[in-house]
Amino acid sequence: MALLEVNKLTKHFPVQQGILLSRLGGHVSAVDDVSFSVEKGTTMGLVGESGCGKSTTGRCILRLYRATSGEIRYDGRDVLALRGADLKWYRRNVQVIFQDPYASLNPRMTIREIVAEPLVIHGIGTREEQKKKVQELLEVVGLNPEHISRYPHEFSGGQRQRIGVARALALNPKLIICDEPVSALDVSIQAQVVNLLEELQKEFGLTYVFIAHDLSVVRHISDRVAVMYLGKIVEIGDWRGLYDRPHHPYTQSLLSAVPVPDPVKQRERQRIILEGDVPSPIDPPTGCRFHTRCPIAQFPICAEEVPELKEIAPGHSAACHFAEPQPIKTQHVHGGSGEVIGAPAEG
Amino acid sequence: MSTLLEVNGLQTYFDTIDGVLKAVDGVTFSLDRGATLGIVGESGSGKSVTALSIMRLIPMPPGRFAGGDIRYEDRSILEMSAAEVRSLRGNNIAMIFQDPMTSLNPVYRVGKQIGESLRLHKGMSRKSADVRAAELLDVVGIPNASQRAKDYPHQFSGGMRQRAMIAMAVACDPDILIADEPTTALDVTIQAQILDLMIELQQEKDTAIIMITHDLGIVADMVDNVMVMYAGRPVEEGTVDQVFYDPKHPYTWGLLDSLPRYDVDDKGRLIPIEGQPPSLIAVPSGCAFHPRCPYARDVCRAEEPKLSNLGDGHVAACHFAGSSGFVRGSTAGGAA
Repeated sequence: MALLEVNKLTKHFPVQQGILLSRLGGHVSAVDDVSFSVEKGTTMGLVGESGCGKSTTGRCILRLYRATSGEIRYDGRDVLALRGADLKWYRRNVQVIFQDPYASLNPRMTIREIVAEPLVIHGIGTREEQKKKVQELLEVVGLNPEHISRYPHEFSGGQRQRIGVARALALNPKLIICDEPVSALDVSIQAQVVNLLEELQKEFGLTYVFIAHDLSVVRHISDRVAVMYLGKIVEIGDWRGLYDRPHHPYTQSLLSAVPVPDPVKQRERQRIILEGDVPSPIDPPTGCRFHTRCPIAQFPICAEEVPELKEIAPGHSAACHFAEPQPIKTQHVHGGSGEVIGAPAEG
Repeated sequence: MSTLLEVNGLQTYFDTIDGVLKAVDGVTFSLDRGATLGIVGESGSGKSVTALSIMRLIPMPPGRFAGGDIRYEDRSILEMSAAEVRSLRGNNIAMIFQDPMTSLNPVYRVGKQIGESLRLHKGMSRKSADVRAAELLDVVGIPNASQRAKDYPHQFSGGMRQRAMIAMAVACDPDILIADEPTTALDVTIQAQILDLMIELQQEKDTAIIMITHDLGIVADMVDNVMVMYAGRPVEEGTVDQVFYDPKHPYTWGLLDSLPRYDVDDKGRLIPIEGQPPSLIAVPSGCAFHPRCPYARDVCRAEEPKLSNLGDGHVAACHFAGSSGFVRGSTAGGAA
């Protein structure tokens, strides 16, 4: 059974205009009609560029933001309706690891205080038991348990992220939202933390929602992946299908834009270069939100009709009127803003 | 092709309360006209300080040049007077910084900022500098350039700001363009646009580029030669093919192995480099990488390895580089 179900989740942020007499000037639709489910013990990757709504989705699941509409179910229970003790129960089971290991640890607290804080809040154990638990946790994440009374500034970035992981594990959660947990780290350290997360998942049967902009890291750690653009999921599927046979033109161009650390492959590869920037989410394009940058958009349909997520293979869906599989290694298109430049040839 | 820039045994140190910080310690490379050199390494490996040293932008004190030389067209940059350096910067050697948000002045119009170097170096009038600035914005792909030149930086998106930075850098047709993590702050689709633009401009003007990055994908994509740095020292230098397909230094092996690859079919476990990068104030004895190196022996702890020539311009600073039987993944038991 799915541990987490997100159904038609929508989050709008109001935009204030004016300084003295501020009034509502519309809204940013940060997340729009997002649905996915995560099976117990698996990892769901959310990937996309800045402003695509991946972090907002994570924060809605955590109840750090109040969703505008839609439904979130955890273990069959309606998360958005939880109150009081029930909400506390939820927060014991669902934890978070943040991106910036420098900003997410209070510099004036010792490691012991930081990692024990969830235990204190939830009233678990005596002071001595809490200390023992903190030491165990530090051991689990590969830190020296003797460093318990040090402060965050005495640790490097990778070590700090391990402290963040230890804190997230303190309450034996079942689901962890990882919001860009490795993007602030150097590659050699990033690999250490990715391995740690994978080991912990095996050991404790954890479920992850892994939010990142790095497509290679997401592919590595995820079982299923959802690609987001301007608040919407444009394609979702298991990692192999999505990376080997991406159907949505945005997924295709995203994948083709990532340089591969292999000079010969890189020389042979053709990139689809999208023109322009991501439009403002305050006034997103009509129809398909990607149509202003899409290399295969056709008019008027793409500018008028919002494409539904359609299943194109078992467990693999794309939201495009003209979704077609494109093995990304053999791409030969140069994207234009809205004009069709020949059908991309396969093979 | 002729050698344009030569860096020889460069040492840039900083005097701090805790001791001497050896940010760059013995960097050596040369750059030909029209070529692209990639400098890779993790944070604190000395990539940016190398770039700033070439531009003579190191604050002194606390910084100082403790040794070595940087020669541009056979003139020593380190010995130039302040006035000579000023006429070099922006004119012959220009730099693109990582963060286009903080490197543009928020209170000046974009066009004015681009025109500044034209007025300084080329003696253009206010008017003609404005016209040229608009042309440059057009060249770097900003639509409606003559209007947008009158905008302030906050009216530009991240990608457009980086384009404006590039316009500013190429305004005086420099021989060398130093790009310090030019796309790190940008999304991948915008990164692809910017890298494409840089390659295009390079081919047009035969500019040499020093590309500083931690992203091995970008290195594979656009450079000719690579220098891998660790703890302020170069550990391996060679052509991009030599370094990617026949790397000789255990640190380079570690870097390549720790990357998740989406172009490789199976998802094996990542092989990280254990431990943490060293403090540059207390660099480990001998080879700076030895505490993290699975192949380290006694000699590595005692003696600092020199850059040794492995043929065809491929060099590595490892006692065992090139010796037979010393191959990637051969033994992880060397440290025991």
